[in-house]
Amino acid sequence: MIDSTALLAPFGDAQLAIGGIRHYAIFLLDPHGTVVSWNEGAQAIKGYSASEIVGQSSARFYTREDVLAGRHAQLLARAAQEGRVEDEGWRVRKDGSRFWADVVITAIRGADGALRGFVKITRDLTERKRGEEALRQGEERMRLMIDSVQEYAIFMLDPTGRVASWNSGAERLKGYTAPEIVGQSFSRFYPEPEVRAGKPERELEIAEREGRFQEEGWRVRKDGSRFWASVVLSAVRDELGTLVGFTKVTRDMSDRKLAEEAMLERTRQQGAVAQLGVFAVEQPAVDAVIHRAIDTVRDTLGTERVQVLELSDDGNSLTLRGGCGVDPAGVGRLAVAVDRGSQLLSPEPDPQGFPLAGLLDEQAFPSGITVVIRASARPLGVYGMLCAHTAVRRAFNGDDVNFLRSVANVIAAAIERRRMEEQVRVAERRMQEERVRTAQVQEALRERDEFISVAAHELRTPLTALQLKLQGLERGLRAAAPEKSAGSKVGGRLEGALRQTKRLSHLIERLLDVSRIAAGRLELAPERFDLAELVRQVAEDFREPAAETGTELRLHGAQRMEGCWDRLRMEQVLVNLLSNAVKYGAGRPVSVRLESAGERIRISVVDEGIGIAPEDLGRIFTRFERAAPVRNYAGLGLGLYISRYIVDAHGGRIEVSSRPGQGSTFVIDLPLVAALVTLPGQGPRQARA
Amino acid sequence: MTARGCNRTVLVVEDDRDVREAIAEVLADSRYVALHAANGAEALQRLRAAPVRPCVILLDVMMPTMDGWQFRAEQQRDPSVKDIPVVVLSAHSDASEAAAKMEAAGYLTKPVALETLLGVVERFCAPDKE
Repeated sequence: MIDSTALLAPFGDAQLAIGGIRHYAIFLLDPHGTVVSWNEGAQAIKGYSASEIVGQSSARFYTREDVLAGRHAQLLARAAQEGRVEDEGWRVRKDGSRFWADVVITAIRGADGALRGFVKITRDLTERKRGEEALRQGEERMRLMIDSVQEYAIFMLDPTGRVASWNSGAERLKGYTAPEIVGQSFSRFYPEPEVRAGKPERELEIAEREGRFQEEGWRVRKDGSRFWASVVLSAVRDELGTLVGFTKVTRDMSDRKLAEEAMLERTRQQGAVAQLGVFAVEQPAVDAVIHRAIDTVRDTLGTERVQVLELSDDGNSLTLRGGCGVDPAGVGRLAVAVDRGSQLLSPEPDPQGFPLAGLLDEQAFPSGITVVIRASARPLGVYGMLCAHTAVRRAFNGDDVNFLRSVANVIAAAIERRRMEEQVRVAERRMQEERVRTAQVQEALRERDEFISVAAHELRTPLTALQLKLQGLERGLRAAAPEKSAGSKVGGRLEGALRQTKRLSHLIERLLDVSRIAAGRLELAPERFDLAELVRQVAEDFREPAAETGTELRLHGAQRMEGCWDRLRMEQVLVNLLSNAVKYGAGRPVSVRLESAGERIRISVVDEGIGIAPEDLGRIFTRFERAAPVRNYAGLGLGLYISRYIVDAHGGRIEVSSRPGQGSTFVIDLPLVAALVTLPGQGPRQARA
Repeated sequence: MTARGCNRTVLVVEDDRDVREAIAEVLADSRYVALHAANGAEALQRLRAAPVRPCVILLDVMMPTMDGWQFRAEQQRDPSVKDIPVVVLSAHSDASEAAAKMEAAGYLTKPVALETLLGVVERFCAPDKE
């Protein structure tokens, strides 16, 4: 047991001061570690009063683990040996709670050098320890977080730009492991030309000056491949403002960049097609459109060889219609390739978007797209094809194929438009020719009608003189010998001559009717009369000529048929029909039937004669037509034409049915009261069939 | 309407000589006196020089030198001959129309039948045995 008074003697007056210190526990131990003095600070920090602890072993201030480990004895031994020992560690208060203590133990030796005891000064560092621990844990968490980030390369550079730290995102993005890259200059992440241009250094300068530098640009991986990076470079300074380095956060934006570039490329392609389309609309020449299309494809796709090949009608050969980068010998080989029967006309293109890839010349042009130029008017529905080939191997995407198809569509549209314009031109030319021909025909018909009119009038003049002279002669003959004239030789001849003048007169009248019809000047003068009576009169007039051919005339049907028609013109029609029936009736009976039904009447004239051939039926009502052979029967064949016109002008119809060898039936259908119809002049065109 | 003192004289104005002669012949057969003129001008001359006024003038329309229309206009301006009746003689179907416009007394259409011709002329001339 050491006397504490003796132990404390060297401290003298200092003891008082030590006793009052509150922030440090300052107390003495004997050489065995027993507490021999105690101060206020010791009481405040450890919770024991002097009376409680003096005489106790200082081991009780240690944690159970430290005691078991012999730490208490170790520290005393080291202090004894080395004179002084400092330790930081957990200590235990009277109440059992722990505190983080900074402990200094100093050995006290007597003048003889013998160990007299220890001074132990303990400071409570719990608060500081807590702050340090929090900081340490925060830093650790940050490090773990940064380490675990995969999407971003997050690393530090020292002030000169050398890599100071590296995370897993950086390793994944750039391909380097931490040992490979830490200490290396960050400039190796840049493409060579940018390094040469001093870009990395410039970026550091900007970040240092402005605190931050941000950009998007190409960066290089360890394997040399490029990626599009979004980069943020920030300067890091200590509390004094000294630059300690940079943080760099890099993100791979390649996907977005590629999407943007694809969008831009698509926009560029669409713009090029639109321009080509506008050109094609303004430029009617197909060749000009083809050449512009070839330039458009070359400039837009960057393909060295562009061709427009026209397919022959039989689908067996191709002709070069235009191209760039074309080796003429190559075209020959293409033609041969098609000849051998490639899948040229397969209706569906290859799903890969590379139809007709067989047209590639593997050695000179290893990559390319070929699309079909469609043309509806072509035998195979194909005009030909549009090929875009590159001299270097290259991948094309769906946009490129669509672009080329669009260009092919513009060419197809230009061809189609040209074809339609050509058709329109041909049609217009034909129409013009037709107009000229029609005009010529009309002029010829007009001249003929005029000639008929003039001729008919001219004929009337000599006929007038002839008729008057003959009638004068006949009258003189009758006056001289009334009883003989009828039977005399001269009288008979005179009568024959007069009959011929009458016939001439009729023919002239018909010609004049034709010219009136042609000029639209045949006018009707309807009056009320009994058509049945008129039929009987006309039939009566035909008794004699009918008897000459042995023809029997029979009348059937209505006895009375009052109505309103042009009497002279209707008589003309009846005379014409009866005269035909008698003339072509082959001596067999001719019957006329009258029927009336409501507001309409019907007159049928039926013969059993030679009839009319079917091919003639349609045209017997037209001008100057006569179904019967000319040498057998006289007459100009105008009668039916005029009759039809007259009936039509009454608002009626005339129809014929006939069988060769069995006779003909002409039927006139008329309204009871002529519904006067204004018919156009029929000069320039054929009368209706 | 018979013109007295005409002495069965008829003026035939017709450019076609055959027609003119044929008419003259048949009129002569019926004891008419026919004066000839090949056109309107000649007809005016004849009218003014003739010792006897014709009972009627048979007037063709289409004639060279002076046509029927001009003749008729001249005739109507000359009081000495204006009241001699005119019968239009035409090969055209518009003879009736022309006659109405000329204020003619009648018309005949070529080819005219002898009986028709004599019938018309007779209307304007005094009967033969008067």
